[in-house]
Amino acid sequence: MESSGLALYIPVGLMFIVALGFVVVTMLATHLLGPKRKTIVKLDAFECGIEGKGNARLPFNIKYFLVAILFVLFDVEVIFMYPWAVNFKELGMVGFVEMALFMGFLLVGFFYLLKKGALKWEE
Amino acid sequence: MEAAAQEKIISVINEKFEGEIIEATMLTDFFTIIVKKEQIVDIISHLYHHPDTKFQFLTTLCGIHFPEQNQIVVMYQLHNMVTNQRLRLKIFLSADNAVTKTLTTVFAAANWMERETYDFYGVIFEGHPNLKRILNVDEMIIFPMRKEYPLEDQTREDKNDLMFGR
Amino acid sequence: MEATADKIIVGEKPEGIEGTGFFATRLDKVVGLARKNSIWPLPFATSCCGIEFMATMGAHYDLARFGSERLSFSPRQADLLMVMGTIAKKMGPVLRQVYEQMAEPRWVLSVGACASSGGIFDTYSVLQGIDRIIPVDVYVPGCPPRPEQIIDGVMKIQYLVETESLRRRDSAEYKAMLNKYGIE
Repeated sequence: MESSGLALYIPVGLMFIVALGFVVVTMLATHLLGPKRKTIVKLDAFECGIEGKGNARLPFNIKYFLVAILFVLFDVEVIFMYPWAVNFKELGMVGFVEMALFMGFLLVGFFYLLKKGALKWEE
Repeated sequence: MEAAAQEKIISVINEKFEGEIIEATMLTDFFTIIVKKEQIVDIISHLYHHPDTKFQFLTTLCGIHFPEQNQIVVMYQLHNMVTNQRLRLKIFLSADNAVTKTLTTVFAAANWMERETYDFYGVIFEGHPNLKRILNVDEMIIFPMRKEYPLEDQTREDKNDLMFGR
Repeated sequence: MEATADKIIVGEKPEGIEGTGFFATRLDKVVGLARKNSIWPLPFATSCCGIEFMATMGAHYDLARFGSERLSFSPRQADLLMVMGTIAKKMGPVLRQVYEQMAEPRWVLSVGACASSGGIFDTYSVLQGIDRIIPVDVYVPGCPPRPEQIIDGVMKIQYLVETESLRRRDSAEYKAMLNKYGIE
């Protein structure tokens, strides 16, 4: 039994390759082998049967983007808390203090964005 | 509508528009006034604002075609919701030149109703913001509700006369 | 009442080679079987026939047991265009665009008298039959047709789906038929 960390991950790598390979192969196979009939009208954007008007790419409000970015940030913070929760006993007091500091920094950031009104939804 | 209310409406119209009423009758329990076509919008506006009549709801606006007299009538039906009185005003236009002023300045609801009247009878409403066909196909060249145009679709060639009562 | 279990046909299997744990048959039969039991309709319901369709999709008549569980109001994800109701001439181009934007293979079911031939509305404004603008596979007459009739129409479409050749949509005959309607 090998004790080197990297060799133990070969099954995981194989599974990853199989999953990715399945997706790639089926997509390629269906795109290349499947019958297609493309016509101009069929490729038009669907607008319930009437003429499509204008461009769908319009500038939209930045509040959606802000909510998404802030979610990602705090979600990553929560993800960091998972391994800490699993190894709580071994990390002991030192780990606890480190984690508290980490969360404290992010809390300061949260306080800042609350004050700035970044999550204010009405104009 | 009792005679007193009818007299009241006629007197309100005659206050400012003497001589515009051609005829005022009860047409099967509906009070109908035929007026001259020139000042119809002003008359309706007057009836809208006058405190004794206050006809502030336009029930409908439509056209009628009389082929024998070669006339097209535009009929306005007004309603006073407070006293529950209804009034019908009619103006007679010549079918060759059916033009009148638009009622959209007084009632916003007249917008689509006038478009429908244009679509089916060919009545032109001067001053209308968007006078084009509303229910029929845009490329149609006839005014279907005029009695000279046939009702049935003319492109069918498979009709059995016996079945269609001809 | 005697038991009628022997008269029930659960499903007809196509001809093929059978053995313990396997069944081999032709590819187009398998594809036909799969397609016919999973037709996703696009209910183009305009009038009264649309209400009959609602009854057909309800629990009593249940079109969903034929595989039409998932209705699609987008033509991209639909197999069967069910035109149910009166189509006015103003609606014609809309119906045609919806049909043209459906992905092959596609079938059209014309439900009711109005969609098949204009029905009782022989007027200047009603399209006298949708087959003036799009090719139709099955007509269901009736004003409105009962749900059983609509189901019968769907079963006939199922027969067409099952027996369609896999390369029919590339054939010259199909293209010629579409050209007759002015569709590419």
